[in-house]
Amino acid sequence: MNLTQQLVNGLVLGHAYALIAIGWTVLLGVARLVNFGHGQMYMLGAFVTWYSVSRLGLPYLVAVPIAMLAGVAVGYVMQRVMLQLTLRQDLVSIMIVTLGFGYVLHGAAGLVFGSTGQILETPLSLIDVYWGDLWFTWQDIAIIIVAILFFALLKYVIERTGVGRTARMVAEDPALALLAGIDVKKVYLGVFAFEGAAVALAAALVAPRTPILTSMGFDEVIVTFVVVVLGGIGSITGSYFAGLALGLFTAFFGALVSPAYTTAAAFAVLIAVLVLRPGGLAAAPGSR
Amino acid sequence: MQPALRLALIIGCAVLGLFLPLLLGGTPAIYSAAVLIAIFAVMAYGLDTIVSDLGEVSLAHTVFFAIGAYATALLSTRAGLGPLGTLAGTVVVALLAAGILGLITLRLREFVFSLVTYAVAVVAITVAANWNFLGGSDGLRGIPAFELGFLGYRAQGDAELWPVAYALLLVTLYLMRSFRRSRLGQAAIMVHLNPRLATMSGIDPQRTRLQVFLFSAPITAAAGWLYAYQRAYVSADLLETYFLILMLTAVVLIGRRLLLGPLIGVAVVQIQEKFFSFGGYVDKIILGTVLILVLAYLPGGLVGMVQALREASRRVRDRDQTAFPAQTQTESIRKAGP
Amino acid sequence: MSAILEARDLIVAYGGNRALAIPHLSIGSGELVGVVGANGAGKSTLVNSLLGWSRGRPRIAGRVRLAGEDVSPLPSFERVRKGLLLIPEGKLVFGTLSVEDNLLAVGGAPLGEGRRAYSVDEIYDLFPRLKERRGHLGAQLSGGERQMLGIARALRLGPRALLLDEPSIGLAPRLVSTVLDTVKQLAATGLAVLLVEQNVRAAIKVVDRLILLERGQIVTEGPAAIMRDDPRIAEAYLGAHVA
Repeated sequence: MNLTQQLVNGLVLGHAYALIAIGWTVLLGVARLVNFGHGQMYMLGAFVTWYSVSRLGLPYLVAVPIAMLAGVAVGYVMQRVMLQLTLRQDLVSIMIVTLGFGYVLHGAAGLVFGSTGQILETPLSLIDVYWGDLWFTWQDIAIIIVAILFFALLKYVIERTGVGRTARMVAEDPALALLAGIDVKKVYLGVFAFEGAAVALAAALVAPRTPILTSMGFDEVIVTFVVVVLGGIGSITGSYFAGLALGLFTAFFGALVSPAYTTAAAFAVLIAVLVLRPGGLAAAPGSR
Repeated sequence: MQPALRLALIIGCAVLGLFLPLLLGGTPAIYSAAVLIAIFAVMAYGLDTIVSDLGEVSLAHTVFFAIGAYATALLSTRAGLGPLGTLAGTVVVALLAAGILGLITLRLREFVFSLVTYAVAVVAITVAANWNFLGGSDGLRGIPAFELGFLGYRAQGDAELWPVAYALLLVTLYLMRSFRRSRLGQAAIMVHLNPRLATMSGIDPQRTRLQVFLFSAPITAAAGWLYAYQRAYVSADLLETYFLILMLTAVVLIGRRLLLGPLIGVAVVQIQEKFFSFGGYVDKIILGTVLILVLAYLPGGLVGMVQALREASRRVRDRDQTAFPAQTQTESIRKAGP
Repeated sequence: MSAILEARDLIVAYGGNRALAIPHLSIGSGELVGVVGANGAGKSTLVNSLLGWSRGRPRIAGRVRLAGEDVSPLPSFERVRKGLLLIPEGKLVFGTLSVEDNLLAVGGAPLGEGRRAYSVDEIYDLFPRLKERRGHLGAQLSGGERQMLGIARALRLGPRALLLDEPSIGLAPRLVSTVLDTVKQLAATGLAVLLVEQNVRAAIKVVDRLILLERGQIVTEGPAAIMRDDPRIAEAYLGAHVA
C-alpha cells in the first residue's frame, strides 16, 4: 500500500465528507432540525447532474447549478410542509416526515431515472493527474478547492454578516428572535433550502467518483452523522476537521482492512466516542 | 357494558377473525395477504410501544425484524431446531441486541438516539450483505416448513400458516393491552408527556426507555421469525427501508395509542399494494406521501381527524352562547374614581 | 390624547379555561401604566397576547390596535416591526452574540412617521455602560446590564409602545429604581408604556395608572395616587400601613 497515495485519497475523501455534511451542520445548528432525507437528496443531486450531462447534453458547469436548484426546491418544499411541526419543535414527527420524504424521493427517482447504476462522467473526472507515484483526477482537486472555498465563505457569512447574525439569533432562541422582529419562518425555510443546495453541490462534485444508484444515500447519512457529531453540533470549523479525520480514517481502513466495512467501522468509532465521552449529546432522556 | 358481555363479544370477534379470510373468498391470494398483514402488524406493534407510548423514534426495529428472521433461518437450517426452538432463540437474540443497543444509547438525547438507531440499521445492511455466515448477498435458503411434530401440524402454504399467524397476532394484541395497563406502560406515557414531572414522581426515564426497548424488540423479532417460515428464505433485503416506512405509517395512520390502529394501518397499506398497486416505484411514492401527510397535517391520524371535525362542528354550535364575563363589577369600581 | 395601544375584548383561553379576559385596555402617548397581581394572575399572558405570542396553543380573541391601526391579524414579528415591542421576562438578550451584535442585529426596517429608531451611537450615549462592554457576549453581562441591553435593543426598533415584563426581577434594589426611572423617561419621550411588575412598591412610584389583575380579569384600576390607598393593593402588596 502506498502511504502517500492513501493520504491523498484520504484528503480528497475528507473534503468530500465535509462538503456532504455541511448542510446538515447548518440545519442542526441554526434550526435544530434533522433531515433523514439527506441521503436521498444527495442521490437526487447526483442524478440530476448525471441526467443534465448525459441525457440533456448540458455542460457540467451548467448541470451543477441545476442540481443545486433542484436541491433548493426539494428543501423548500420539505420545510414548507413541515413548518408547523418545526415551529412546535415536534422533533419526533419531523424525523419521520423527513424519512417519508426520503422514501418518496427514492421512489420518484426510481421512476424517472430507472434502477440501473450510472456513472457520472464530468470533464474533470476524465482527466487523470499523475504526480510521481500518486494518481488522482482533476475532479478530486475540484472537490478540495470547492470545499475549502465553501467553508471559508460560510464561516465569513455566519460570523460577519447580517444574515449570519440573524441565523445565530434564531439558533440561540427563536422566540426571542421573534420579539426582535425576525421572521423566523423565513429563516427556517432558508436554512432548509440551503441544506438542499449544499448537499446537491456536494453530490455534483463527489458522485463522479463512484457509480450511482437510485437506492443509494444511506452511507452518506452515516458519514454526515459521524462528521456532525465528531465536529461538534453546529460548528463549521469542527465539521471541516471532523470530515478530514473521517476521510483519512476511511482511506486507511479501506486499504488496510476491508473496503466494504468502512462505513461500519466509522460508525463503530462514533459509538465508542459517544459512549465514552458523550459530551453535549448526552442529555438523558427526560431532560431538554 | 357488562364485563361478561364484553368478554363474550371479544371472544366472538376473535373467532370470527380466524375465519375472515375464508369468508372473504378463501383464495391463495387472500390467505397470503392475511398472513402478511398479521406478520407485519406484529412487526409494527413492537415499534408502536416506542413511538406512541414512549414518544421516541427507533429506526432500529427493522434490525430486530431481521434478527428474528435470520436467527430462525440459522437455527432451523444449521441446528435443526423446530419452530418453538427457533422462537425461543429469536427472543433471546433480540433481547440481547436490544440490551446492547439500549445500554449504548442510554444517555443520549432523543434525536441522537434516533440517529444511532438509524445508523445501526444501515450498518446492519452492510453486514448482512457481506458476511458469509449470514449468507452474504444471496441470503439463507432452505428454511423448512413450519411443523409442530408433537401436534402433527404441518403448514404448507399460507392457508395453513394462517392460524399460526393469527395466533401470533392475538398474543401480540394481548401483550400490548397488558403493557398499556402495566406500571411500565404508565411510566412510559408519563416520560413521554412530561419528563420532568415523571422524574419527580420517582420514574427513571433512562431505565424506562431501556425497559420499553427490551419489551418491544422481541415482538418485532417474532414477526421476523414467522416471516422466515412464510418466505422460506431470508436475505439482506429484509433490512430495506420499506419495512420501516410500513411500520411507521401503520403506527400513525389510524391514530396514536389505539389498540387496533397498527393492525388496521398495516391492512390498509397491504391491501393497496396487493390489490390496487400502481407499480413498485409509485407505491413507494404513495406510501411515503401518506406518511408525510398524516404527520404534517393529521397528527391524530384518521381517527383524530374525525374527532377534530366533530369538535369543530360542536364549537360552531356553541359559539353563539359564549357570553362575555360580567362587566358590572369593573365598571362600578372605575366609576368610583377620583 | 388618543390611545397609542388599545385592546378590546381580549380573551385567552386554554381549552375551556379562560386565562385572560380584558374588556378594554388603552394606553396613551407618554403614559406609563402598571399592571400588578399575584403569580398566575395573567400578567405575562396579557403582554404576550398583545403581541399574539403565547406558550402552548391557546385561543386568542379580541382586537389590538397600535396607533389606530388594527394589528390583530398580523403575526408577532410584524407587530414588532410596527413598533409594538415586548421586553420579556427572563431571557432578554442573545447570550452567544456580543453586545454590539445584539444591537446591530435589529433595526434597519423602514419606519412610519412618528417613530424614531435610535442609532447604535445614540444607544451608547444613553447607556455608556453598554459601550464599555460592547465586545462582551450577552451571557457575560450582569442582570442590570442585560436589562439595559434589552431596553436598548427595543429602542433600536423604533418603538411606539413598549411592554415590559417584570424588569426588576433579580435586580438589586438600587438598580431597580434606575431601570424604572429609565422606563419613566422613555414614556416621557412619547411612548406608550405598559409595565408588568411584581415589585408593586417600586412600580407605584413611577406609574401614572395602576391595574390590578386577578385570575385574568381586571379587578380594579385607577390613577396611582388613588390606587396607593386602595385597600386591596395596600394590604396584599404594600403592607398594612402605607405612608
